[in-house]
Amino acid sequence: MASISALVASSAKLQHFADQSSEEYDRQIRDLVTSLHRSLSSNALNFAANDPTLLDVGSASLWNRPENFDPATDAITYLFLLRLQIQTLQETSQEKLPADLLPSRVLWTKCVHYLKKFNPIQVRYVGHEWRQLIELVAQAAQAASKPFLATQLIKDAMLRLDPSCAVFTSTHLLLVRLCLHAKAYTCILPVLNKHICHFPGISERFPPKGAPVLCADHESSLAFITNNSGLSAPLGSRDLSRYFLYGGMVYLALKKWSEASHFLELVMAIPTTGPVSMIMVEAYKKWVLVGLLETGKLRPPPSMIAPNVYKVYQSIARPYINLANTFELRDLNRLNAEIDAARNVWSADNNSGLVAQVLDSFTVHSLVGIKSVFAALTVTELSEQTSSLPRDTDLAESVIASLIMSGSVSATLVHTPGHSEGTMLRFPSAHPSSQLHELQVQGRLARESNTLEALAASVKKSNNDIGLGDEFIDHMHKSKAWNSSGTDYSVAEDETRFDVDEDIMGDQI
Amino acid sequence: MELPSFTKEQITKVIVSNAPPSQLFEILSQYESDACLMSAGSGSPETGAGDPEMLCLYYSGFFFAHLLTKQMSKFPIILQVIPEARALTQRIPVTLKHHDPSLQNCLNLLRAIWQNEHGQVYRILRGLPWPDTLKHLVKRYESFFQDQTLIAVSTSYEAIRPAVAAGYLGLDTQAAEKDNQTIIQKFTDCGWTWNPETRLLYPSPITVPPTNSQPPSGIRETMAMLGNR
Repeated sequence: MASISALVASSAKLQHFADQSSEEYDRQIRDLVTSLHRSLSSNALNFAANDPTLLDVGSASLWNRPENFDPATDAITYLFLLRLQIQTLQETSQEKLPADLLPSRVLWTKCVHYLKKFNPIQVRYVGHEWRQLIELVAQAAQAASKPFLATQLIKDAMLRLDPSCAVFTSTHLLLVRLCLHAKAYTCILPVLNKHICHFPGISERFPPKGAPVLCADHESSLAFITNNSGLSAPLGSRDLSRYFLYGGMVYLALKKWSEASHFLELVMAIPTTGPVSMIMVEAYKKWVLVGLLETGKLRPPPSMIAPNVYKVYQSIARPYINLANTFELRDLNRLNAEIDAARNVWSADNNSGLVAQVLDSFTVHSLVGIKSVFAALTVTELSEQTSSLPRDTDLAESVIASLIMSGSVSATLVHTPGHSEGTMLRFPSAHPSSQLHELQVQGRLARESNTLEALAASVKKSNNDIGLGDEFIDHMHKSKAWNSSGTDYSVAEDETRFDVDEDIMGDQI
Repeated sequence: MELPSFTKEQITKVIVSNAPPSQLFEILSQYESDACLMSAGSGSPETGAGDPEMLCLYYSGFFFAHLLTKQMSKFPIILQVIPEARALTQRIPVTLKHHDPSLQNCLNLLRAIWQNEHGQVYRILRGLPWPDTLKHLVKRYESFFQDQTLIAVSTSYEAIRPAVAAGYLGLDTQAAEKDNQTIIQKFTDCGWTWNPETRLLYPSPITVPPTNSQPPSGIRETMAMLGNR
C-alpha cells in the first residue's frame, strides 16, 4: 500500500464485506491489519506521515474527499495513519508529548474525533494501538493540567468498545485515576456501577471449538478482551485493589457511603498469601470511617475477610479503632480529644476530611441513639442529653430541623402554643423501611434483578472455565474422585446434577 | 446530533430557555470540555485565557443546572446534588472562581444550602447582584428551593408557628408573627390547617412519589418480579 488510492481501495473493500458473513469480514480485517503492519515496517506509508488533510475533521469541503477516512467505517486505517503521524511528530520533536498533541492542537483534535467515532468491532483487531492512543490522550490531558478533557472521552470510548465493562482492563484503572485528579466523579459512575466479573484472558487457554470470530456478536466481552488482544496492559491483583480503592474514593466524594463501603471491602478481601498490602490497610482505615458515617459504629468484619487478616488490620490501624470505640461512647469531649491526639495520623493518611465528617455526624448518631430510648422529648431536654447540640433552644431546634429535613434523622417537631421552649421532638414508632414508597421498592428490586442477571451470566461462564482449568482437573485427580467409569465432573455442563432434593422428608412418605 | 458551537450566544440561549432541568444539565455538561479548553492554561495556547465573561456565565449556569437536577437518592433533592455541585466548583478555574462576583455568589449559595441556612439562601438569591442573563435561572432556582423546602417542612413539623414557617420559605417573618392573613393563606392553600386559638399551623405532609424510569405498574409487577427470583 504505497499510495493513498491503495488505502482507499482497501477501505472500500472492507466496507463491502461489513455486511457479509462474519467469517469473511474477519478475514478481510485480518488481511488489512497484516497489510498495514507490513506497510508501516517497510515505510510504505511515509507519504501519509505529514499529510495534515488526510485525517482532517470538521471541514465540509474536505469531508467528501474519498481519501478522508472516517473512524466509524475505517477505524483501523484511520488509527494506523493517526499513530504514524504522532510517531513522526514524536521523532521530529524528540518529545514523547509534542505540542501538537496537547489539547486543542491539531493532533489532539484528530484523536478526539477518532475516540468519539471509532468502529468498536474493528478495533477489537487493533487493541494494542487503540490502548496506546487512549494512554496518549490521557497523558496529553494531564501534561496540560486538564485531566478533565480526557475523562469523558475515555469513558465513552470504553463503553463504546464494551458496554458491559465486565472485563477489568488497564483502562478502568487509568480512567478512575484521571477522574479523581479531575474531580469528575460522576463521569466515571457509568463504569463504576457496572460489575467487573473477569480478568482479560482467563478463558483464552481453552477457546471452545468453533468459537465465533472476533467480529461476531459475543455474549461476553471476554471473547475479545484477552491477554493477547492488547486492549489491556498486563494486570495484577494490585491493579484491581487500586481500582476498587480509587472507586471507593469516588463514591466517598459523592457521599455514597454504602457503595464506598462495598468497594473498600473488596480491597480488604483480596486474597493474599503474604502480609497485607498498604493499599488494603488504606482501604480498611477508610472503611472504618465510612462505617462511622453510615451507621455510627464500628461495623463487624465482613464475612469474606479471614479473621487473621482482620486482626492484622486492627493492629496496624489502631488510632482508627480507638476513634470508633470513642465514637460509640457518644462522648463529644472524648471524641474531640481522640481526634486531636491523632491529627498527624489522619493527615498522613489523607483522611482528615473524612474524620471531620465523622465529627459532624456525631449529632445525627447521638439523636439516633436517643430515639431508641425516648418516644418524645422537648428540645430543651434533648439539648441536655446531647452534648453536641447548642444550649440555645432556638438554635438547637434549627439544628434538629435541618437534620430531619436532610433525611438523616427520622422524627417530627411539634411547636406548642405560647412558649417556644416547649417544642417537642417525636420519634415515629414505625420502622423507616416500612415507609418506603412502592416505586422505591420496585426500583430497588429492578436494580437487584439487573445485578443478578449480569452476575448469573458471568458465573455460568466462570463455572465453565473453572471446570476446564488445570487446577480443577488436578484437584479432581488428587481427590481420587476421578475414576475410569466415564463420570463427567464438568462443573457447568449440567448444573442440575448437583441439586439437592429440597424435600428431605420426601422418602418418608 | 451535532452540538452547536460553544459561543456566548448559544450558552445564553440555553440558560434563558425554559428547558427541563435534566435537559439543561445534559446540554451544559456537553460543553464542559469546551469550557475547560477555553480557560487559561498551557493546554490552550491558541485561546489563551478565553472569554472570562462567557466562561463565568457558562459555569454559573451549569452550577444552577446541578442544583435543579433531580436524582434518585434517599436524601431530599435540595441536598443530594450538593456533592456534585461542589465537585463542579472545584473544577472551575481558580482565577475565574476567585475574581468573578457571580461565581463567588454561587459558592456562598452552595455553602448556605449545605448548612441549611434558609434565610441566607434567600438573601443570596434575592439580594446579591446577578448578571441579567442569569436572573431567569436564579429566579427558577428560588422557586424550586421554596417548593422543596415546603415539602421538607410539611413532613418535618406536625405543628409550626407561622413566623418559623415563613422563615423557611423566605416570607416576611415579622408579618407572620402578627398572624398576617396573606401569609397564613399561602400555607392554608397548600392544605395546611390554621388554628387561631393556638396560633399554630398544622402542616399536611406533601409527599412526592419518586421518579422512576419504569412505568408505575404497581405492586403486582413487583411481586411477579420477586416470584421470578
